[in-house]
Amino acid sequence: MAVFWTLITFILIIPITLFLSVAFSPRLFDQGKQWFTLSSFKPVFSGSYGIALLHSFILGVVTAVGATAISLSMAWLVLRTDAIARKIWNGAIFALFLAPSYLIALGWQRLFEQRGVLEIMGLHVTPIRNLLYGPVGICMVLMVKGIPFAYLVIANAMRGLGEEFEQAVRVHGGSRIEAFKVMATLLLPSIFSALAIVFAEAISDFGVASTLSNVAHFSVATYQLYQGINSIPVQFPVSAATSLTLLALVILAILAQNRALRGRSFRTLGGRTRPATRLKLSAAGQLLSGGWIIGILVMALGVPIFGAISASMLQGLGSLLSHYSINFSNYTRVLGSRFLRAPLIYSTEMSLITATLAVALAAVASKVLTSAKPSRSKRFMDFFLLAAVALPGIVFAIGYIFTYNLKFINELGLHIYGTSFLLALAYTANALPSTSRSLVGNMSQIQDSMMDASRVHGSGPARAWLDVTMPIIARPLLIAWLLTFSGTLLELPVSELLYPPGSPPVAVGIELSLAGFDFGGGTAIEVLSILWALFVVGIAFFIFNRFAPVGWKRLGNQQ
Amino acid sequence: MKHVQAHSVEISGAQKNYGQLAALDDFNLRIEPGQFTVLLGPSGSGKSTLIRSIAGIERLDSGTITFGDRLIAGAGLHVPPEKRDLAMVFQDYALWPHMSAFENVEYALRRRKINSDKVKHRVEEALERVGLAGKGKNYPFQLSGGEQQRVALARAVVGRPSLLLFDEPLSNLDADLRERLRVEIATLTREIGSTALYITHDQSEAFALADQIGVLKSGKLQQLDTPEKIYRKPANRFVAAFTGISGSFNGKVTFADGKNVTVQVANVQIECKSSTGLKVGDDAEVLLRPSATSIEAKKHNTLIGTVLDVAYRGRGYEHVITCELGVISGVFATEPSTRGDKVDIYVDPHNCLAFAI
Repeated sequence: MAVFWTLITFILIIPITLFLSVAFSPRLFDQGKQWFTLSSFKPVFSGSYGIALLHSFILGVVTAVGATAISLSMAWLVLRTDAIARKIWNGAIFALFLAPSYLIALGWQRLFEQRGVLEIMGLHVTPIRNLLYGPVGICMVLMVKGIPFAYLVIANAMRGLGEEFEQAVRVHGGSRIEAFKVMATLLLPSIFSALAIVFAEAISDFGVASTLSNVAHFSVATYQLYQGINSIPVQFPVSAATSLTLLALVILAILAQNRALRGRSFRTLGGRTRPATRLKLSAAGQLLSGGWIIGILVMALGVPIFGAISASMLQGLGSLLSHYSINFSNYTRVLGSRFLRAPLIYSTEMSLITATLAVALAAVASKVLTSAKPSRSKRFMDFFLLAAVALPGIVFAIGYIFTYNLKFINELGLHIYGTSFLLALAYTANALPSTSRSLVGNMSQIQDSMMDASRVHGSGPARAWLDVTMPIIARPLLIAWLLTFSGTLLELPVSELLYPPGSPPVAVGIELSLAGFDFGGGTAIEVLSILWALFVVGIAFFIFNRFAPVGWKRLGNQQ
Repeated sequence: MKHVQAHSVEISGAQKNYGQLAALDDFNLRIEPGQFTVLLGPSGSGKSTLIRSIAGIERLDSGTITFGDRLIAGAGLHVPPEKRDLAMVFQDYALWPHMSAFENVEYALRRRKINSDKVKHRVEEALERVGLAGKGKNYPFQLSGGEQQRVALARAVVGRPSLLLFDEPLSNLDADLRERLRVEIATLTREIGSTALYITHDQSEAFALADQIGVLKSGKLQQLDTPEKIYRKPANRFVAAFTGISGSFNGKVTFADGKNVTVQVANVQIECKSSTGLKVGDDAEVLLRPSATSIEAKKHNTLIGTVLDVAYRGRGYEHVITCELGVISGVFATEPSTRGDKVDIYVDPHNCLAFAI
């Protein structure tokens, strides 16, 4: 546990705490003259920072409402009707979950930009482009990225909502509409949760901020932070104050959710809950629902995939050529060029290290969090991981730049800024909160008595952990590992700010290619990276399903 | 199965606090080698804390635990659970879901370092002994609740530990299964000869299983005795009430000779037993054991009441009767009375206990 807490201190607690505290005390870190001041917050609410913050807030609210409404309709169609198109939704939702927002935005850009794929095909897309390159387009991509989060929350609640509640309304004289109202009320906690989560995701997003909103000159807070850190001299106190404001907005959303639900506990899941029967849709209903589901999937995945694949196969995209050809030359160029394929290899190495380290730490963290005994370390961990979940990746990265450039850190002999080591630590710290949270549910299902039984029947603590806990959560651990691996492979904000000179990760490699107008090469790296992530996921599941003991495979299957 | 070398268990001055709450409060207990002891108490009485401390899952704040001559806990020492040579049956079975029934049972033999043929033989023998021959390949989810608890029982006995601990093992089972498994536990434990400590809140389970019963309240041992003595001569009102009563009334002592007392309750004189030094004029509470009452008229110790309810119990009928003193339940008769009937209730002085208020 000592090793665990040391690591948590260095990768999570120190960078976050030191960076955020510079907003109040610039002098403590040689960033100004005052020991305590609130003046760093003044620029946050005025000028370009203020506008960016307002944009982020409005985008967050609109995105949250839109994504939650769409997810609610999807959850109802998928779980409560016999809509034929529902069968493609569950697989697609996880693809959407894995796809970083910048890749979705880039896919749309490649299709609709000037001299983009659709214009090369001879289509007139200017009106759509004008919409896309503005708040509507930004909101649409953020909404698409928010849907899987909102859907998972609402669908989980809807699954636990048995048919008996509707039946009780109907047998006591209530109409179909009144039954629906009761259902909607029982789903309120999940709807509020979805709103809060999507709002937090939207205002923390850096992927769309650095692509679509950057091109559209529509400033948002995370990109303003990025620009602030790239300006000279760097205003760390203002960046910290902006970060704190963003964090406060996320916390406010969570508090608003709690307040809205105060005193209401809709415990609907019980041993006697009966699964709901599906509503049989008419032919027109099937057509409408199919159109809605497929339409959303086309916007969320179809367009970006088509955009990326078509752009990667178009020879000459981004140039002023008048002749274009369709072939695989971009792929052969990427695979043949050490310079172009190096980011993929580097990101793979970093992702392997990060996923392994993050899952190991997350397993311990989730064990601490689910311990039946109340303890100070549990409360402390809970607070820090919750705060870290709310902290945007870009803030994490700036916190690392700030902390590991501090004079006293360097005097301690920690010269790790600009190294792969620091990047791996930052990736791990960035992934740890969500990975830990994803394991908490499974870990909490392990009854303490199972570990106790192992101990009293002759096993020491380590052996009991390996014999009992590990196998029981093997599948969730594997899923957490794969999610972290894929997420890190395509991660943008931390990569952008902390990559060692000369070793760009995939996301930076893509951006560098695009910045150099090598649209074909950039999108080919995109496609190859996604295929590589899918290949690793496939291989990992194949190995697990083929070689893991039978008892391991059965458990955690619901995940 | 072979008899094991059982040892005594001694707990001295055990103290365990959870914040302000004392789960064990200067607790003392001795269990002789091979003895089957049941600790009986309500929720929060400290019985789970005690059994978990003996298992090594919990640490005592102070006090000592000794197995035979070996100090297990106390004076800065805490021998970990795996080094205590004991086994335990848990309330929620605590079977490992990723292991088959065979693997669950086999696990307990890993510390014994015996060859694989012997292991296989002993696991199969244990499973057969609990009626699960042929189910070794099944995973816990493929077994019923009763079968799961049998696997847990086989896992506990297969290693022939010196000490067997049972943490309310039957509380999640239905009545019929509970009775059958109770017999299994009683016979198997005595067959292997281990010292056994069993905790429960069910007095019928305690009386059926125990060589000696300890009754706990608020972390303190109220009485440690044979089942017969606990029933006939409870040390205090709590022990009497917790081991089964069908009614209680308050009154004043009108006669006392050290063993027998007569208590005036309303207009009725009730003869009772008392070993708590009641004197004439003392206020007293009369507790009736369920076996104390029957529907019949005698010259003394007879009350008149009205039947409120009647329930068929196979060998006869149990009545709930209201009388001028209050309500008495479980009044037995071989023939039923009708609700609303006036009846005579005879109270047997030998099963009627009086305590000072």
